[in-house]
Order: sequence, then structure tokens, then C-alpha cells
Amino acid sequence: MNDTQLPRFEVFVQERRNGPHLNAGSVHAADAELALLNARDVFARRPECHGLWIVPADRVTARTAEQLAVEMPSSEPGESGRAETYRVFGKIGHKGTHEHLGRVEAASAGQAIRKAFDTFGSLSVTSWWVVPESACLESAEDEADAWFKPAQDKPFRDQAFYPVETFMRSLRRARESKEPRR
Amino acid sequence: MNDAQRQAAVEYLLSLGDDELVLAHRDSEWTGHAPILEEDIAFANIALDEMGHAVIWYRLHADLAGKDPETYPDHLVFQRTAEGFRNAPIVELPNGDWAFSMLRQFLFDAAEQVWLEGLGRSAHAPIAAAARKIMTEERYHLRHTRAWTLRLGLGTEESHARMQRALDALWPFACDLWTARPGEHELVTAGICPDGGSIWRTWEAEVVSQLEKADLARPKAVQPTGFDRTHHTPHLTESLAEMQSVARLEPEGVW
Repeated sequence: MNDTQLPRFEVFVQERRNGPHLNAGSVHAADAELALLNARDVFARRPECHGLWIVPADRVTARTAEQLAVEMPSSEPGESGRAETYRVFGKIGHKGTHEHLGRVEAASAGQAIRKAFDTFGSLSVTSWWVVPESACLESAEDEADAWFKPAQDKPFRDQAFYPVETFMRSLRRARESKEPRR
Repeated sequence: MNDAQRQAAVEYLLSLGDDELVLAHRDSEWTGHAPILEEDIAFANIALDEMGHAVIWYRLHADLAGKDPETYPDHLVFQRTAEGFRNAPIVELPNGDWAFSMLRQFLFDAAEQVWLEGLGRSAHAPIAAAARKIMTEERYHLRHTRAWTLRLGLGTEESHARMQRALDALWPFACDLWTARPGEHELVTAGICPDGGSIWRTWEAEVVSQLEKADLARPKAVQPTGFDRTHHTPHLTESLAEMQSVARLEPEGVW
């Protein structure tokens, strides 16, 4: 059977101004721009948000702390030799989600993991993700108003706010008392 | 505003609200049926935004018509028959396929962007404030629908064919969006609303350039649709019957 599932993108939400980008979950989309648009609708329509990043899941290189204890990648650049910027995400402790820790320059994903560990290793990270920055897409500063501001003056309303169910019941009771039972 | 302008503004604002409401209801019909979950949520969000914009215009309408802005919008939505609606027929057409709904939303969003820019400079301050508020959300809608128009147009042979078919059907109705609204002439003179007859070229340029990027050809000849804001297609009656069915069961109900 053909796999009709669209590619998956991890979504990172900046909940506080200048705060870290936190992994909120993922979306499926045909490409990065649609993923970014969908991320806005799925994760940032109501909650506070100041910025969004999406990264293609298949460009994420992941290592757990346990894996690194067994096999630490070399700090050598590897074959390609051309350095690029990687974004480093780590899950600190066993609870919570991956959050952005910073950037490293590396010539391969393996080297990026190693440099991430050397740079941020004191943070008791249990799970590491590195992603080439060129594969990431983020919401534009000048669109923040259109994307995130409308949410700020709209209330969340719990289902219980709407008395629909009680109202429907009272209608039914009124109707039943009018119609004699057969 | 003098009395004639006030009366014109009442009519004009009703048409703005009706465009948003009837489109919002059509969009909401996709909820649970969109091609993927993420887009289902996104399109439902757009529907909700348009519904919110309808309320904004209805409140201004009520205010100028001497009605209660809190309760009158519900009356407008649930108690009128199709003859009383002043929306452009493009928004009442059935959803068709995803291409049709997405392209309609794009054509409408692009038009709304242009007239909101004009309304944002309205001499009547509450209209100007409402337009600027609505425009913030509309910028996002336009980005979304533009992105989809491009992808469906350039996608597969089938998606392109469906988009071209949708464009052929929608284009005459889209042009009708620019036929003068009720009250428009009176209000243009007073600087209360923009002159649709002169700003529609801005819309045409934006839309045609996007359609070209999506490899879609605008129909050359435009046949009159035979419908307008006071002569609706039968689809509006059907749509309202669905929308008003619960309210009509219990007109005094409070939710």
C-alpha cells in the first residue's frame, strides 16, 4: 500500500518573549511553509505565543544520554568537511519537552551532537536533538501581529460556559409535559 | 453623519456582515471533512474568524440602526429569510471540492484586504477602528490561502485541473464582489467608505499575479451571473435553512 502520510515537522513555540522555544508537538504538511502555517493554527491560536519554529522530523538527529554514554561521536569534522550551523535541542531531566539550548557549528550531524554535548553537557540533558539551521523555518517578526496578536484578546471558553445541554433538557421536559403519553 | 449617510451606512454595514457570515457558515461545513487534520483545524479557524468579523459589522449596523448591539446580531443571523440578506452570491455557493472552497476563500480574502485598507481610513471612526482590527487576522488568512492556491495550481495534473475548473466557475462571481454595495455611492462622497469602482483594480492585479504564479488562467470573457446582493441563488435559502434550523425550533431560546 502507498504511504499517503505527509511528512512530519516538529513544532517549537516561544511562549514568553525572549524565552526558549519549546517543542509543542508535531504537524504533518506537504512542505515547510504549510507546516509553519498549520503550526500556527494547531498550537498558537489561543495560547500565548511570540514565535514559531518548525523543523522537518527527518532532518532531526537524535541521541539519548544513554546512547552517548556507550558511543560518543567523534569531534572530528567527518568527510564533508563543510561546517554549517546546527540548532541544539535538549530535554532536561525526564519530564518536559525538548527546548532550544543554542547553536553549534559542525560539519556533520555526529559532530554537532558531540559539540552540543561539549557545550551544553552540564545541563543534565536526557535526550538530544540537532537540526541543520538551513532546514528550519520560522515565523517572521513582521507577521507576529497577524499571527499571534488576535489570540490575546480572545477568551478560552470551557464547554460548561454554554448552557446548551441544560437548555435542551428543559425544552424536552416542557414538550413531554404538553404531549400526553400514549 | 447626516440622516441619509446614516441610512446608507446601515445598509452598507449589513452587506459587510452578511458576506462574512454566509462565507463563515460555508467554511464551517468543512469541519471534520478537510483533507488532513491540520487543515481541518486551520479552515475551522478561518471560519471562526469570519464569524467574528460578521459580529463586528453587525454590531456597528445595529448601533447605527438604533438597535441593541448585544441582541440584534442574533436576530439578523437567525430570523431573516434569504430575501433580507445582502451578501454577494459568491459566498453562498456550495463548497464543491477543496479547490473550489480554497480558491473562493483566496479571492474573497484578497478582496477583503483591499476594501479593509480603504475602510481603515473611514471618516467614521468606529468603522475605521473595526477595519483595522479585522485586517490583522485577514493578513494571516491571505497568507494561508495564497500558499494553498499556489500548491494546488502547481501540484498534480488533477489538482491543477480542479483549480482551473473552480476559477472558471468562480471568476464571474468574484468580479461581482465589486459591484457597488447598497449605500456605497452616498458613503464614498462622505469619505466613509472606499470607492469599489476604483480600488478593484488593486485586487485584480494582486489576484491575477498570484493566479499566474499558480499556472491558472483567468477566464477571458466574463458572463453576467444573473445574481446580485438582492437576487440570490437558491443555495442561500438551503444554507440558511441548515444554519437556522435549531434557532427556529425555539426562537426565544438563550444559549
